[in-house]
Amino acid sequence: MSPVTVNEKKLQSKISAIRKFHEKNGRMPSYSEIGDLIGFRSKNAVFKLIDKLQSLRILEKDKKGRLIPLSLINPVRVLGTVEAGFPSPAEEELVDTMSLDDLLIQNREASFLLKVSGDSMTGAGIMPGDMVIVDKSQTAKSGDIVIAQVDGEWTLKYLRKRGEHVSLIAANPKYQPIKPKNELKIAGVVTAVLRKYK
Amino acid sequence: MKNDRPLTISSWPKAILHLDADAFFASCEQAIHPELKGRPVITGKERGIVAAASYEAKAKGIQRGTRLFEVKKICPDAVILPSDYETYSLFSIRMFNILRRFSPDVEEYSIDEAFVDLTGLRRSFHGSYEMIAKTMQETIEQELGITVSVGVSLSKVLAKIGSKHNKPHGLTIIPGRDIHLYLEKLPVGKIWGIGSNTAAFLNKFGISTALDFARKDEAFIQKNLSKPYREVWHELNGRSVYPVTPESKDGYQSISKTKTFTPPSTDETFVFAQLAKNMENACIKARKYNLAATRIIAFLRKQDFTSSGIEMKLSRPSAYPAELFTPLRKAYSDLFEAGTLYRSTGVILSGLIAENSVQYTLFDDTSKIERMSRVYSVVDEISKKFGKHTIRHAASLPTQIQAQHEGERGDVPQRKTSLFKGENKRQRLGLPLLHIKI
Repeated sequence: MSPVTVNEKKLQSKISAIRKFHEKNGRMPSYSEIGDLIGFRSKNAVFKLIDKLQSLRILEKDKKGRLIPLSLINPVRVLGTVEAGFPSPAEEELVDTMSLDDLLIQNREASFLLKVSGDSMTGAGIMPGDMVIVDKSQTAKSGDIVIAQVDGEWTLKYLRKRGEHVSLIAANPKYQPIKPKNELKIAGVVTAVLRKYK
Repeated sequence: MKNDRPLTISSWPKAILHLDADAFFASCEQAIHPELKGRPVITGKERGIVAAASYEAKAKGIQRGTRLFEVKKICPDAVILPSDYETYSLFSIRMFNILRRFSPDVEEYSIDEAFVDLTGLRRSFHGSYEMIAKTMQETIEQELGITVSVGVSLSKVLAKIGSKHNKPHGLTIIPGRDIHLYLEKLPVGKIWGIGSNTAAFLNKFGISTALDFARKDEAFIQKNLSKPYREVWHELNGRSVYPVTPESKDGYQSISKTKTFTPPSTDETFVFAQLAKNMENACIKARKYNLAATRIIAFLRKQDFTSSGIEMKLSRPSAYPAELFTPLRKAYSDLFEAGTLYRSTGVILSGLIAENSVQYTLFDDTSKIERMSRVYSVVDEISKKFGKHTIRHAASLPTQIQAQHEGERGDVPQRKTSLFKGENKRQRLGLPLLHIKI
């Protein structure tokens, strides 16, 4: 690891300590509080750090010497412009991320997995062996991919509604559209397809 | 005594809902295998007896506990499936989560039963308690594909009478002024919390129905019955005594693990290994809830269904198999009869107390116990990462030499065989699998 990144890391951890204090208390820390936060015994060291942070436009001092946060809240951009390396995302930036679960599953209680075996939806990118996530709580709209039971047979198709007429369309020219004669039951709406390669 | 006089005139001082899933295990199977809807479905193939029967199967006279060879005679077209507890647990968690959308006060009473306190929710849902209960029932039906029976009344005991009143797929609302109508025909022994002995005792005083019991004066109740039954009496009269306790299960009175194996065995080492594995499983569960056992019970069941067991008191509470194997082995050598066929073994940890309140005795080697606790915290950590039984005790290893159930009973649930890339025998995605061929 190059010395630049080591310094950068150190600096970043100091900034993040100050930021956390600010988040928690809703105000900037005093010099002695910064000393406590970071582990500096002397106020002079704190003073030098503040100087540095001021030159980086992370914070500034008002007329009375009190600290005002500038880009303390958004450290990525600032660090990126000053210290040569890539901006490294701070922990706080991860608060608003979502997991793959959150992305793929809207209503967890109503979601089921289904392994696809047929090829009727290959044109929609659903291949045999893929997993689809099926949501039972959604009302199927025209254009949705649905799991449906037509006259006793289960199938995976696009749902098309034209006024009174309902039909099921495959995404594969091999298969003709299906017009239910007696009964159409929709077991769920496909919200995502999963394929894992390795 | 006039029997058409209401027990109470206040209609909803409290609104407690009891929900009971209909033939839960069988319904879960029908939900993930839609082609089984409307057919007699039975789970419990691996046990050789009926664990759950769908209403279609019950209609043909099949009950829980019926032996499977009898089932085949009574109802040859029954679909018999191995129990898929993983799927049932997923459904159970989902059911409770759906209930929590309506009220934070949800008590998980068992895997397929819940109490919900609805008191005061009419305003926020702009409707009656009946409407709220109906919406809950419909949501579960739509999202999970299983049906549930629901009772709503002024107390837990009454709510339970309501949910039983009309099964399956019933919705019974019992407001205060109607309580007596539901108690009139109900035998006193059918009340939740009243066993056959108490029922027989009450019969001697001319109390045969729930209504007779509810109408008895307080002096009689005070004089003749102990506290639990006095509480039931209050609950029947529409005065709620038992609160809905929303904490999810974090404590247990006892933990029991039993497993049947096929074919039955006479092998001393193998049968002990089965017992040891139950001990491991029970301890894993105890440690998960930070509990330690003060007593252990071990039992063996012979092929002719007779069983024998021994209870042991521990000098110090523990949830570490390595410590418990010593007393277990001793009990086993007393229980095991050479040349006898055994079909199942079981371990019960009882007298559970919080692990951090364990008192050491004067003669305990504290540093050794400390080491043991470190070892097991690592074992648990590893299991969390790689699956249960990644690290196990040598004593339970012989269970590996044969499958838990050989032959026809050895069928495992589809969930365990149709794996997605990245899933393994021990860890699978936390969503139920639909088994539809498309």
